[in-house]
Amino acid sequence: MLEAKKLVKYYTMKEKSGWFARKKQQIKAVNGLDLTIKRGEIVGLLGVNGAGKTTTIKMLSTLLAPTSGTLSIDGIDALQQPEAIKRRINMIAGGERMLYWRLSARENLMYFGRLYGLRGSALKNQCDELIKKVGLAESADRPVERYSKGMKQRLQIARGLINDPDYLFLDEPTLGLDAPVARQLRGMVKDLAKKKNKGILLTSHYLEEVEELCDHVYIIEKGHLLLHDTPTRIIQTIVKDRILLVVMDRLTQEDWTWLRQELDNRGIHTQKNETDEGTQLDMTAPFDLTAQFIALTHQRNFHLLRLESKKPNLEDAIIRLAEERELL
Amino acid sequence: MWTAFSATFKRQLVTMRRAYPWSFFIGHILDGVYITIFAFLSYHFIFQGELNERFVSYTGTSDYLSYVIMGGVFNSFTVSLLMIVSRMLITEMREGTLEALLLTPSSRLGYFLGAAVQGLMRSGIEWVTIICIGLFFGLNLVSAHLALLIPILAAFCFAIFAQALVLGSFMLAFRDTYITQNTLFVVMMLVSGVSFPPEFLPQWMQCLSRIMPLYYGLDLMRAVMTKAQLSFAILQNLLLLVALGILYFFIGIIFIKQMEKSVFEKHFG
Repeated sequence: MLEAKKLVKYYTMKEKSGWFARKKQQIKAVNGLDLTIKRGEIVGLLGVNGAGKTTTIKMLSTLLAPTSGTLSIDGIDALQQPEAIKRRINMIAGGERMLYWRLSARENLMYFGRLYGLRGSALKNQCDELIKKVGLAESADRPVERYSKGMKQRLQIARGLINDPDYLFLDEPTLGLDAPVARQLRGMVKDLAKKKNKGILLTSHYLEEVEELCDHVYIIEKGHLLLHDTPTRIIQTIVKDRILLVVMDRLTQEDWTWLRQELDNRGIHTQKNETDEGTQLDMTAPFDLTAQFIALTHQRNFHLLRLESKKPNLEDAIIRLAEERELL
Repeated sequence: MWTAFSATFKRQLVTMRRAYPWSFFIGHILDGVYITIFAFLSYHFIFQGELNERFVSYTGTSDYLSYVIMGGVFNSFTVSLLMIVSRMLITEMREGTLEALLLTPSSRLGYFLGAAVQGLMRSGIEWVTIICIGLFFGLNLVSAHLALLIPILAAFCFAIFAQALVLGSFMLAFRDTYITQNTLFVVMMLVSGVSFPPEFLPQWMQCLSRIMPLYYGLDLMRAVMTKAQLSFAILQNLLLLVALGILYFFIGIIFIKQMEKSVFEKHFG
């Protein structure tokens, strides 16, 4: 298990305050964060820009030393034995970094494998297996600079797995990828956790991705932990409203006045728009209002063209949370 | 350390074969060739082959052209090796591979040594090329004491490697290669006895000569490659070169380690 307790990271910034004078300013990037990742689970780390996600990942991966706090992986103290920790972890970042563009996929993997102490047939087999796994067998000996973005990202996954890490940190792994490639990567991440028993930490701006993959989610703001729960419970806690979208034959003024009165009486907030299709109603209420609305339409024989009940998702929850905290 | 050494050596070799930096190669050769031709023309056509007496007393030779050409050859070699090693980490940072490298539990010393040994192949080619050109302009290799040449060359390479570690850490600290390296190269060329003996310089500038491995290296190389007789000063300079190399090595290792720790913190800002 990866366990971070009361992680703190302060950066000291120098700002020009005159021709030669510089003013020191301390920035609290992470402030007393507790975080746990167990083997076989995918943990999400969310927050708006500047929340401290990247700093947290860099501390967990030993690239940054925390100002204070403790970090251990399977009982090994990361601050005392960073070399031992490095053998058990790896990181995959989105974008096109962390690869040598002039080397081929195979050469990249062989290089990183050697740096992790692999050699001989074990290294060769690991490289071959990973190249096959990420679907780069046909282009394995082509320089990376001639790869597409998706291919580079798949190679990044292979690089991140070269040392067969127990814990994997994914920093925006599907950034800028096409939908099919992103879906393929999500499948791969799920398999790594559930079939290969790896502990995974995921940060992503694609919240559907986090909702789909993560067993539980940490939401941080300005380095503080704001919420920690499963995606479902976070949504239930933050977004209590249900949304019903309806398109129906154009309503007369009389019908609309009657319907609005009925909806208001039931505590349903309604917004009406006239479209080419007909009258569109967006209704919001803190309960499932589908049955009540259908009963009302029967009373006046309204003809429904479309009805869509929208379930709130993690994105709604995060936006609501941000609005409440005036972050947006 | 060995795995990091061999991995980096192979990586650099593949990269060199695939994308050889011809501009660097030509640039380094031109530096050496320029010094050679400039010395040849000025010696013959401006100074009419006449030398100041103090030059002979300071250098122990009246063969000015061999003196300058050797200076050009080893200055180019030093610049080339310094650049290859010192730019390694900052290049990783610029190309976005530094995080991936620092994530591995590999030996940093092995990594730098791998780059240096591979870089010696390239610098060696440049070195031989400038020597060959120098032979046409008056370089006189009168006595190559091979038995001494090898340990001197080894000590010289070690000291330059160590100096490159310190230079590399400054590059990381300043986030710059161009101004940092060229400041060193200009000072180094001025005070190390590349085209004139440092004894011509003011006393305070001569102190800078003593902290340049090139100064000792050049003295030793000239002694074993262009002079017929060897003196006790060779041993003294060899020891000073090794001591300077060891000093730079420890400073470089400490600085690089420190920079690795702070590089991501500075990146934040």
